[in-house]
Amino acid sequence: MTIAAMIAVLFLGGLAAWALDKMRPGAGRWVSLASLLFAGALLAHLWGLSRDGSANTAQAWWQSIELSWIPRFGISFFLAVDGLGFLMLALTLLTGLFGLVVTWREISFRQGFFYFNYLWTLAGVVGVFTALDLFLFFFFWEVMLIPMLLLIAVWGYEARTFAAIKFFIFTQASSLLMLIAVVGLVYTHYSNSGQVTFNYLDLLQVQLSPTTGWWLMLGFFIAFAVKLPAVPLHTWLPDAHTQAPTAGSVLLAAILLKTGAYGLLRFTLPLFPEASAQFAPVAMAIGALSVVYGAVLAFAQRDMKRLVAYSSVSHMGFVLLGIYALNTIAIQGAVMQMVAHGLSTAALFAIVGCLQQRLHTRDMEQMGGLWTEVPRLSAIALFFAVASLGLPGLGNFVAEFMVLVGSFGVDHWTTAVAALGLVGAALYALVMMQRAFFGESRRSVSADEQERVIDLHVRETLALLVLAVSLVFLGLRPQPLFDIAAPSVQRSLPLNNAAARAPAAMESGRAATVARRPETIRKGDTP
Amino acid sequence: MTREELFAILPLLVLTGGIVLLMLQVSLRRGHRPALATTLAVLLVALWACFTVAADLPADGAISATMLFRIDHTALFFCVLLLLAALATAVLGFHHLLSRASNQDGDAYPEEFYILLLLVMLGACSLVCASHFASLFLGLELMGLSLYPLLGFSVIGSHSPQREQLLSLESGMKYLLLSALATALTLFGIALVFAASGALDFTAAAATLRESGPGNSVFSAGLTLLLVGMAFKLSLVPFHIWTPDVYQGAPTPVTALIATVSKGAVVALVLRLFGQVDLFSVPVLSTMLAVMAIASMLVGNLLALLQSNVKRLLAYSSIAHIGYLMVAFLIGASAFGQEAVTYYLVAYVVTTMGAFAVISLVADTALSSLPGGTGPISDPSNDPYQIEFYRGMFWRSPALACCFGLMLLSLAGIPLTIGFIGKFYVFAAGVQGNLWYLLAAVVIGSALGLYYYLRLLLVMVQCESGSEALAAGEVNIAASGKLLVIGLTGALLLFGIFPQLLINWVNAL
Repeated sequence: MTIAAMIAVLFLGGLAAWALDKMRPGAGRWVSLASLLFAGALLAHLWGLSRDGSANTAQAWWQSIELSWIPRFGISFFLAVDGLGFLMLALTLLTGLFGLVVTWREISFRQGFFYFNYLWTLAGVVGVFTALDLFLFFFFWEVMLIPMLLLIAVWGYEARTFAAIKFFIFTQASSLLMLIAVVGLVYTHYSNSGQVTFNYLDLLQVQLSPTTGWWLMLGFFIAFAVKLPAVPLHTWLPDAHTQAPTAGSVLLAAILLKTGAYGLLRFTLPLFPEASAQFAPVAMAIGALSVVYGAVLAFAQRDMKRLVAYSSVSHMGFVLLGIYALNTIAIQGAVMQMVAHGLSTAALFAIVGCLQQRLHTRDMEQMGGLWTEVPRLSAIALFFAVASLGLPGLGNFVAEFMVLVGSFGVDHWTTAVAALGLVGAALYALVMMQRAFFGESRRSVSADEQERVIDLHVRETLALLVLAVSLVFLGLRPQPLFDIAAPSVQRSLPLNNAAARAPAAMESGRAATVARRPETIRKGDTP
Repeated sequence: MTREELFAILPLLVLTGGIVLLMLQVSLRRGHRPALATTLAVLLVALWACFTVAADLPADGAISATMLFRIDHTALFFCVLLLLAALATAVLGFHHLLSRASNQDGDAYPEEFYILLLLVMLGACSLVCASHFASLFLGLELMGLSLYPLLGFSVIGSHSPQREQLLSLESGMKYLLLSALATALTLFGIALVFAASGALDFTAAAATLRESGPGNSVFSAGLTLLLVGMAFKLSLVPFHIWTPDVYQGAPTPVTALIATVSKGAVVALVLRLFGQVDLFSVPVLSTMLAVMAIASMLVGNLLALLQSNVKRLLAYSSIAHIGYLMVAFLIGASAFGQEAVTYYLVAYVVTTMGAFAVISLVADTALSSLPGGTGPISDPSNDPYQIEFYRGMFWRSPALACCFGLMLLSLAGIPLTIGFIGKFYVFAAGVQGNLWYLLAAVVIGSALGLYYYLRLLLVMVQCESGSEALAAGEVNIAASGKLLVIGLTGALLLFGIFPQLLINWVNAL
């Protein structure tokens, strides 16, 4: 019930924000804040439930709700949340709140409609992270796109229409491939068992022939790889991220990219274990390539926002690499990277947004020497830049380290190539700092209009500090996050469980106490 | 003819009686509103007749009224769908004609529009119920012949701007010439089928097919020609050339009529023909349909990319949509295929009717708000059919733009709308039938389609900051028009979010 309530709160909050803002301009953001906080409270309630429940009920899913929706196709409104889903939901709401607070005064026109789209995107994402019916998943997958499209197209920068349409066509066309794969999977299940269902737990049982499994897996993989994004399919990302308004970029980078990684973990790996194992070397190579390619391109950018966007390509490459290393350590690292990258990139986009608002440019050639003018902003930017390059003690370091450790045993050379990305990250992050904040000021403003650039407000500072503290916490005490994710990570590795037993010993005892529902156990999962 | 048979064709009788009644009424006393009222009443009674007949059908679900018609639940379902579309067209036509009627002159004849509309409906409904090549031909021709004057209705029937008159004339002439060609091919095809089977009813044709197998070349040639005639009506590539010009030139309500009723009736007929005669066993026909479907999806979507006129854009998009529908059609004589085609057709009719309704109503408002009322629209920037005309409409009249936006999303097949469920059916059918090439074409076509639907959608949402003056120009459409658009949007959302309601109904056929 709590999950459905969360989605409903965000949907209704969006409508209310639009309606109330019409009556009283400025009310929209307060409504949005209230609905986000309410959703956060619901999530906290869910967390409480899991703490109470894990002792006695011992279920894989903390909470689930299943209502019949389209019985003709065995489609139900089936939502459930587990550790991975919870982490993603927490990330969604935290960065959602962050994006709202940090751009509190940035939207100058049509605020009601802006917050409507903002909340509907978040509602769609919450749905994606909790749906356990493949049709419902696809439904939310699409629902989150339209408001995002409008966010980019209406409130974006210069080339917004082009960027918005490109973003939408890339994701939509690839998700149609996923729809075909979903239908193919359901049809195979129907041919085997005579039962039409889109239920994830039932579909885990499907016995696929290697060829079918391969093609269906590719359908899912392409959809998620576009979202992730992995290298040959990434070209929508720099455009969309750069043109989107700050809040939109925060949503895109922090949350929407994670839906791709989440999809790989939740659907591609468990549904097609054999095909995924077969495909893993290719996927790891794509991941390593993304890491290096993203870093190189980020280094070459003049536009600061584009730089951050390409750094996302690089960081999400680690996620892909870690997921397809198919062992617990690497996948835990990938999950950590999803969270840490979400926080650090959201902050970086917010910082670029703040700069753009103050300097009216994103071109680093026209910045320089900002440290003396805006020390607070610069210091925080430095913190997130070094977080992004993987400074030990912060979440990103833990994540990248674990991904590399986990995948090194699987494929030395690919991992070695990916490790080059760390060098690249140091280069582009420090070059960004150097060009924008140190050195001489290169701003081409005549003397008379040389007004002082205002430093960060208290509101912005606080919002950024919250993310900074979270990153430090993740860097110093990553274990709680690993504990929460452990059961889900185990479930996404049905084939390699036996092999992963040994490294899994480093997980806390919680993973072992949480028994899995019988239907999620597959062959190869025998104790 | 027994009483039962007469009862079964009650909807057709109601329409026929209605036409006579309306003609008498108009000959006695002309009047635009009374004519509309009679038309709406006739259509409503026909709808009621459909439901009454459906309730009293015998257990096996079909009555053969002579050799010519076979009334079953499927046929009645399509009749209801088409009659509802006709109701919408009548309302649209009323506003269209009203905004173009001048007060002082007495030589506008808006009443004929409704007579012709009912004639089209009679043709469409007989086509849907046909079980004989003669009734097929009669229905097809009745529909075609009443559409010619409707397409050219701006020339004589109403006081349209000169530009509209010219386009309307062009559209009528093009449709007349090309349709005549298609009719000739259909007729020749029927003649060949008769030569091969010696009978003209569908069951006899089916028997011939069973005996001689698909190898009978005269029979196959006849069916191929027949299918070409149908493909013309459905505007499948390469028989689509008439579509954009006719769609653009025709008065918009008539465009809506030709896009929904004319195509819907032919789809229903082809569905029945293929099912009853088991034409799926003739490989040449399936191959031909598959090639035409792929070509339609690709060509339709590609050419739509280049359009700046909304009506032409929707014309190409409708070509592509019939292509998608053919994918569901091609999976053969299965219950699922029929269900998928029916659902997709409903989605197509609702969405297309809605889109044309908005275009028509917006254009009517624009026309009546122009200085000089019915003066020629020479300035292309003021042409209400250009995409640019819709710029910023979302901020000028949000409700109308929301409805139009939802129609566009439905055409693009985005969830929450009926169009998505339709597309989902197409995918499910394609996977079930292993039609991978066709599915690939659907994916490519949809991706291309997104571009032009989104472009139109974003044009509505975006507004240059300099043109805030535009914000004053709210589009005020009449109450009945609003009701129609809201009703169609409601259906689009209802069957998009709760498709089971419609699926239950379709499955009960």
